[in-house]
Formats: sequence, structure tokens, C-alpha cells
Amino acid sequence: MTPVTPAGGPARDDGPEETDPGLARARTSLSWTRTAISFAALGGVVLKVNVITGAIILAVAPLVWQLGRLSRGGPRSTGLPVAGGRRLLLITVCIVGVSLLCLLVALLGHADPGALRQPAPRGP
Amino acid sequence: MSRSGRFAAWWPGRAAEHEDGTEPDPRFTFANERTFLAWSRTALALVVAGLGIVQLLPPFPGVPAGRHLLGVPLIVLGAVLAVVAYAEWVRNQRALRRGEPLPRSIMPWILAGTIAGMAIISAIVLLISALR
Repeated sequence: MTPVTPAGGPARDDGPEETDPGLARARTSLSWTRTAISFAALGGVVLKVNVITGAIILAVAPLVWQLGRLSRGGPRSTGLPVAGGRRLLLITVCIVGVSLLCLLVALLGHADPGALRQPAPRGP
Repeated sequence: MSRSGRFAAWWPGRAAEHEDGTEPDPRFTFANERTFLAWSRTALALVVAGLGIVQLLPPFPGVPAGRHLLGVPLIVLGAVLAVVAYAEWVRNQRALRRGEPLPRSIMPWILAGTIAGMAIISAIVLLISALR
């Protein structure tokens, strides 16, 4: 039931749904966080293979998270994302760069085949 | 449109923020951004899958280049997917600003083709490896 004021009109509700219809901003912010976590996870995997490359990719993760914070423009902001296009272009450039680094690691790096194999049981 | 004009059309300042048309509903802008981010994560997943195949899988007997055959295309497709995702975001944002219908996306085709192609290559590599 919709709350009403003593005058009979609907009460002003300053809940998150009022300031952020459909919670679009919150969901987008969470999406940015997931993307940053994805970068960190990829960096963690590459870290096991090549320390320098992994550290570079890991360093991108906080940058992505920071870009996501820029999109919010402050906790009370109701405006549009700041410079949305440039942020997304930056993410694209980051992914292409990371792909090239991973390609170099895959082609030139030292492989660790059998890392997923279970160790053979020891004899008596 | 000239080649330089076509290139400029994909530049973010031209593509979405200062172009003709009206500012769309923020919910649509945010939804377009989330779609781009979801495709970006898919691209990263392809890259990490390709790297994992090359670096961690045991070699296929009889197919010395089998791991590279499976892993390298995935990494390259990760980069391609990221670029196409950005192009799609630009096209969608432009259509939203102009109030036009959203253009058809080629991303599902790329992903479905990739998965089908990788499944076929995997089956061939495994068959050759099992027969030797």
C-alpha cells in the first residue's frame, strides 16, 4: 500500500528506488566491480605462469574499479555517467593489451603441463 | 562517409556524448553499459581459458601443437570480442540517442561460432590423439 501524507498526496519516499529508478546505477556499479574482480582473477592465474605479466594485469584491476567509481559520480549523484565513452574505450584497450600479453606468455612462456593432473599415488 | 569520418564516428566523444539526438533515459544508458561490461568479462574468460589450455593442460599424445591449436584462437577471440563489444556499445548508444530501433547484435553469432568451432577442433584433436 502506498503511504500517504496528511494532505492526501503520496508521501515522498527517498529510498534507493526513488533516487535510482530500477537501481540501474547500483547494478552498473556492481557490474564494474565484477569486471575488476575478473581482471584480478586473470592476473592471479597469469601470476602463476609469469610473475611480471601477472603483476601488470593485477595492477589493472584497481584501475578498473576506480573507473567504476567514476561512473557513480558520488553517492548522491543522479546524473549520467561521467565521460562514459572514454572509460569504456579504456577498458577495451586494457582487454586487448591483456590479450596480447597472454598471447606472448602462451607462445613464449614456460608451460607447466600436467599442473591439473592429480599426483600419482606413492608406492608402499 | 570518408575513412577519417568513419574512424571519428567510433571515437567516444563523437559516438555518444556530443552527437545529435536527445539524451536517452539513464536506465537505458546504464543497461547498455552493463551489457558492454558483461561482454568484456566474457572476453576475459576466453583469454583465461586459452591461457589455461596452453599452460596447464597435459600435452596431447601425437598432437604436439594441440594445446596451442586450442588455446591461441581463444586468446585472440577474447581481444576481438572486446573490440566488437565496444563497437556495439557505440552503435546502441547512437540508436538510443536518435530514438531509432536498436541494431542487431553480431556478438551472439561470434560467441556461438567460437564455441562450435572450438568444440569441433577439440573433438578432432582428441580423436587424433586417441588413435595414435
